[in-house]
Amino acid sequence: MASSTVSRTHPPRPAGRPAARPARRVRRHLPTSPWLFAAPGLLVTAVFVLYPFVSTVIDAFTDRRTLVPGHFVGLANFRELLHDDMFWTGLRNSVLYVAGTVPALVVLPLLLALLVRKNIPGITFFRSAFYTPVVASIVVVGLIWVWLLDERGLVNSLLQTIGVGRIGFLSDQWLLLVSAMAVTVWKGLGYYMIIYLAALAGVPRELHEAAAVDGAGAVRRFLTVTVPAVRSTMILVAALSSVAAFKVFSEVYLMAGPDGGPAGEDTTLVMLVQRTGTGLTGRVGYASAISLVVFAVTVILMLLVLRADRREDV
Amino acid sequence: MPMSRRTLAALALAALVLPLSACGSGGDGGGSGDASGKVEGDITFQTWNLRANYKDYFEDLIADFEKKYPGTHVKWVDQPAEGYADKISADAAAGTLPDVVNVSPDLLAPLAKAGLATDLDKAAAQYEKEYLPGAWDGQRIPGLPGTYAFPWYLNTGPMFYNKELFEKAGLDPDKPPTTYDALFADALQMAKKSKGKVATLGNVPTIEDFGRYGASLMNKDGTAFTFNDAKGVELLTKYKQLYDAKALDPQALTATPESTGKKFLTGAVAMNPGSALDLENFKKQAPSLYKNIGITDQITNTGHVNMYVMGLMVNAGTKHTPAAIAFAHFVTDAENQMAFAKKVAIFPSTAGSLDDPYFTKEDGTDVTRVRVAAAKSLKTAVNYTPVLFSDQMKTALRNEVAKALQGKESPKAALDNAVKACDRLLKQQG
Repeated sequence: MASSTVSRTHPPRPAGRPAARPARRVRRHLPTSPWLFAAPGLLVTAVFVLYPFVSTVIDAFTDRRTLVPGHFVGLANFRELLHDDMFWTGLRNSVLYVAGTVPALVVLPLLLALLVRKNIPGITFFRSAFYTPVVASIVVVGLIWVWLLDERGLVNSLLQTIGVGRIGFLSDQWLLLVSAMAVTVWKGLGYYMIIYLAALAGVPRELHEAAAVDGAGAVRRFLTVTVPAVRSTMILVAALSSVAAFKVFSEVYLMAGPDGGPAGEDTTLVMLVQRTGTGLTGRVGYASAISLVVFAVTVILMLLVLRADRREDV
Repeated sequence: MPMSRRTLAALALAALVLPLSACGSGGDGGGSGDASGKVEGDITFQTWNLRANYKDYFEDLIADFEKKYPGTHVKWVDQPAEGYADKISADAAAGTLPDVVNVSPDLLAPLAKAGLATDLDKAAAQYEKEYLPGAWDGQRIPGLPGTYAFPWYLNTGPMFYNKELFEKAGLDPDKPPTTYDALFADALQMAKKSKGKVATLGNVPTIEDFGRYGASLMNKDGTAFTFNDAKGVELLTKYKQLYDAKALDPQALTATPESTGKKFLTGAVAMNPGSALDLENFKKQAPSLYKNIGITDQITNTGHVNMYVMGLMVNAGTKHTPAAIAFAHFVTDAENQMAFAKKVAIFPSTAGSLDDPYFTKEDGTDVTRVRVAAAKSLKTAVNYTPVLFSDQMKTALRNEVAKALQGKESPKAALDNAVKACDRLLKQQG
């Protein structure tokens, strides 16, 4: 009680000195201040995210074309989707892409991170080498892989030398898709490796030591110590990579060509959006409907991953 | 003074909406299409991938125009070849289309239908007689009265072939095929002799191939496609035989003209269409191929080769219609087209220009041989690309052709499906 009284009393003013100017009071911020700080970001988001999104939702219910405003057509675009073989091909390929790349992108970067986290001479070189594909342009990467996998490319020349014969990596519908998946995994390894390295730094060394004392081998320690410790990071990686895989465009476009492989059989949903909605005769309304489906599936994917995370936490 | 919540909300809304207003289409109340006024004002001229090689020509051309018409100023913009249609569609949608635009007939069609191209039959009919009738007609859109662009340069391409590969296959390198039947026979022999290592062709048949083979492409009204007729099915059946025998490159189903061009350079493909420009390319990039290069006419069963037509469209929304029309005419008049033709291997669309000795007399070099032969064939050439054949239709045809070649569908079923898809797209275009 006494201390609070003391703290409230001003110190005695020395005699003969003029009264000091009262300390400048800090003005309470206006209620609008946070909004003013956030305004530039909000504006950019509104113009480049919100407006296009709302516009896409509206267009999905119209027959709008590139140069023709279009009319409200209700659910006609969505009904057409159900009967469009190319839409189902795109959906199948996008789902296959998720199934083919996500497990690899969850597991392989973790193993890679375990390899490069050790401080041994020259390890920085390997860390940089594994990260290089991440910073390389996807166009350059795609072209390099096209050259490698061409009928007369390096890979086929090697296969011919060992007597296997030429393999149509870029002419067979399924091999093309698998080749594109391989490029996605190869390019993404370094990025997710960095995320895992950060997570692994937080795993207490004592846990490994205790497991080792109990006689656990390297594989056992990986499964019972490392994996549970980085589980939430694995879920994050699964979420990020599945959304990216579902929206894949560049790898398939570069390797399978603008038509999406032979007879368009490697078309993904995002490629279909691009092909349908662009150009002077683009069907913007129909492409918007496909975009909404991509958006819905992406949200569902995220929810599923979050749900899995929550279930694990229980 | 503290801001009220309502004021704040109004400000936020204004901040949100004002920038968006720029996204709407502008340019309303543009040119009336009346070319009778004074030629003056600032106009923008857009070309299609021409700056890199012909910068000096266009700068001189613009300077000449500005000198002829004081008070005019021409801003020249050039767009890369790739994504040109996307650039035009973005500009058209945003109301920022340049005043004079370089277009091909298939790009012109949707722009004219959307009311963005000036009808020259109304605004500049007096110039019609200066051009070849076929070239002027090439700028008309089926189902739409009027002519929507000044004809600019014409082009046709010879067929290049690798004489060495022909010789190795036991074919006469001095007697290349000129009809489809001869081509198919030679291609099968080439594949057999090379054990499938050398394909004669690298691309699947396009709509122009169907035209040159003798298939009917559209009905007379331009309201439906007809390339699934007996001739069309016959062509695709023969291509299927080539594909099975590896006389058509196995990667043809995903190939682009550029990727096939590279295969021709490396000797993986024996024949490839091109233009006189390619000779220089062969000389630089594949000297050994250049020594063995053979040049022949386009393969055709109809006696007519395919002609590519370029045009200059005048934006219907231009604020300076007289200047835009005068400039488009200036660029495409006989004198300036002839000057351009002497810089690059193209052919003027102006009446009488092809009779110039430049296009009729050879000097013994390959370049003039190609030029003279092409100019001769242009006199009877046909633009086999239907004006209304959009990119989406091209994709639909390629996809169905690929299914037929893979054996997933019969040639007849594939072409029926392609025609059905193209007709649906045509209907949707309105």
